[in-house]
Amino acid sequence: MTGKWGVGKLFRRFRRDFSSWSAWTLLLGMIIGIPVFTIAVSLFNGPGQMWGHVTQHLLDDYLINTIFLIIGCSLLTLLFGVSSAWFVSEYDFPGRRHLEWILILPLAIPAYITAYAYKGLFGYLGSIPILSRQAGIPFQGIDLMNLPGLVFVLSLALYPYVYVSTRVAFLRQAGRLKEVSLLMGLKPHQYFFRVALPLARPAIAAGLMLVLMEVLNDYGAAHYYGVNTFTTGIFRSWFSLEDPQTAIYLSAILVTIIFALLWAEKWQRRKKSYSLTAQFSTGNHRIRARGKTKAGIAGIVLIPVLFGFILPLGQLIYWGVITWTRVLDAQFFQMVLHSFGIALISALVTTLAALMLVYMPSWNRLQGIKPFARSATMGYAIPGAIIAIGILIPTLAADKFLIDFMNEYFSINTGLIINGTIAVLVYAYMVRFLTVAYNPVEAASLKIGKHLPESSRLLGSSRPGTLRKIELPLLKTGLVSAVALVFVDVLKELPMTLILKPYQVNTLAVKAYGYASDEMVAEAALPSLCIIVTCAIFIWYLNKLTGT
Amino acid sequence: MNILEVQSLYKSFDAGRTYVLKDIHLSVEEGKIYALIGDSGSGKTTLFRLIAGLEPLDTGTIWIKNKRMSDETRLVPPHERGIGMVFQDLALFPHLTVSRNISFGLADHDDDKVKEMLILIELEGYENRYPHQLSIGQQQRVAIARALVINPEILLLDEPFSNLDETLKQALRGKLLTIANRFDTTMFLITHDVRDALAIAEKGIFLQDGEVIEQGPMDTIFNNPQSGYVRSVKHNLTRSAEHILSKLGG
Repeated sequence: MTGKWGVGKLFRRFRRDFSSWSAWTLLLGMIIGIPVFTIAVSLFNGPGQMWGHVTQHLLDDYLINTIFLIIGCSLLTLLFGVSSAWFVSEYDFPGRRHLEWILILPLAIPAYITAYAYKGLFGYLGSIPILSRQAGIPFQGIDLMNLPGLVFVLSLALYPYVYVSTRVAFLRQAGRLKEVSLLMGLKPHQYFFRVALPLARPAIAAGLMLVLMEVLNDYGAAHYYGVNTFTTGIFRSWFSLEDPQTAIYLSAILVTIIFALLWAEKWQRRKKSYSLTAQFSTGNHRIRARGKTKAGIAGIVLIPVLFGFILPLGQLIYWGVITWTRVLDAQFFQMVLHSFGIALISALVTTLAALMLVYMPSWNRLQGIKPFARSATMGYAIPGAIIAIGILIPTLAADKFLIDFMNEYFSINTGLIINGTIAVLVYAYMVRFLTVAYNPVEAASLKIGKHLPESSRLLGSSRPGTLRKIELPLLKTGLVSAVALVFVDVLKELPMTLILKPYQVNTLAVKAYGYASDEMVAEAALPSLCIIVTCAIFIWYLNKLTGT
Repeated sequence: MNILEVQSLYKSFDAGRTYVLKDIHLSVEEGKIYALIGDSGSGKTTLFRLIAGLEPLDTGTIWIKNKRMSDETRLVPPHERGIGMVFQDLALFPHLTVSRNISFGLADHDDDKVKEMLILIELEGYENRYPHQLSIGQQQRVAIARALVINPEILLLDEPFSNLDETLKQALRGKLLTIANRFDTTMFLITHDVRDALAIAEKGIFLQDGEVIEQGPMDTIFNNPQSGYVRSVKHNLTRSAEHILSKLGG
């Protein structure tokens, strides 16, 4: 049926399906894959000198703490995220419309900044114990600088990932299914456990995976609270023990844990990918809460907002007020400009790369190119510290080669040419946040469908011409979302920036971390507030733009 | 003279495990109106996409005006095939006006050409409207004008009658016949409703499970059906006509 396939015919078919776009896609994929490839190849160099020390004294600690973090943060973020999503999508109560998007705002506060604020709130000399004692209540504060404290703080900072995906799932399933359930005599809580929750499970799991990726990526909060995790271990191995191979081995274990989690999520979802057709979406009819129920629901929904946003923000504003004269100077404004500039450049470069990765694979017919392009967006699952190490190793090697070359042939001592440049930092952000930009661009592109570009092609437009004339104008919302999301993520990013930033350049995140590390946590407030206000504005704008 | 030839065409989307089109042979005469008839999933749209060059084929050959357009190792780009296509969802560019949609395929915006097309589709005065400001019937006519403006040798229409009520269907049939006569274009339309095919097409091609089961002049096929599928279609059509006539008579 398919005829005989000689080598010549196979080659001619390859020529038919391979285009310059295939080459560009492969090239871009390979550039993005450098850090992961480097870590994988470096594993073959064997463990480092300190590996024995790490396995004997530290590895158990890393493993147990990380597992505790995974379980603890999962339970707490599910509790905060799912309950608030359920109440705002099913019940009508005073302030619901505002709470719907205010519940997302803790995402504007990086987890390490929430951690700083909580020390200031509940430590023995913290704001709440002092205010309590002044009011005659003998409250000595709570020691949060430990593993359970870290779980609590990370959960407050990260529950919006679960909240957002779950709320969308609840809103989509509302309508006829609920009407049918209620007609069959189910009470609202029975409908929740027997219909709504099982249907929302894939969305809840997807949100939870994002939480866990962030938990495993966290360096600032864990370091500040003195909890040993894999990420703090990677930093310690590289910078304190000066053993890159041990850092690489720890990275490999952490990546294995992450892929096991991703596999588990995929496995639980294998037959549960429900798609609710439009016929079920008859609009949501919320239950009007009355009396005590109304107060109870509003109280439950306010808890994560109060502890995840209002209290830490209040503490930071207080610190900001008492320290601004010491912190605010010309250097501060320069740092703000640096941060915004780097975030903007990174957001634009990453969105451009995402656009290329969405479109170039569909511009050629080479089999396997689409999964290859999709796999290039796996960076978000890999902690920033690992990506940074995966970039440092080849760039340091390239720098060494260049220094030797210039010395030998031109007798010029150039110093580091590649490392410590903004270009390397922007590249690292692109690798890490590509999927953040890819998802909205891909979603917008799928919404356009294939018939519009095909019509354009039939009418004589080239592929780039079609992209320019037809697709780009229609992709506007997706592109703006992508730029805004990456901008926010870059502004908050800490571990990768700490490792890769140019020596003379400071960012808001690094400055806040620096103050907190130097026991000047109150001074960390102003850079933190800058990040929070900017992120909050972007989150509000994105919420308005996309409706989710 | 045949304008389109398809020989031994096979197409699979799962590396040869199942074929959506099997051993297709077609000869399409220039200037005639053809209907491609078959149930949902019979491979009609895929065949259109292969002819338009939007998909590569697995094996076989597609010739247009004696030029080899597609085979196992060759895929001439869609715009070099002299084909105009109207998609089932029309695919009008939502951010462009009617006038810009129509002139999209022209190298330069040509007001006279656009005006000529607007007169043809009876939408003068609508040039500055956007697609969402038009009724479905008007959108359909804009999509046809956009495909025609590049003077295609073959015009492919994917289910042009599917979203229209009976009055609009009749109007569109008349319009398509006018266009076919005026532009001398070979017209190839997909339909799952054999009544539409009988109303407009001179020749028919019946597709079932990815295979051509009958092809030829519509009257010949219906007067002497060779396959069970066409016999059953004819039977259903006759019964439905008899039922309507008896109602009218009653």
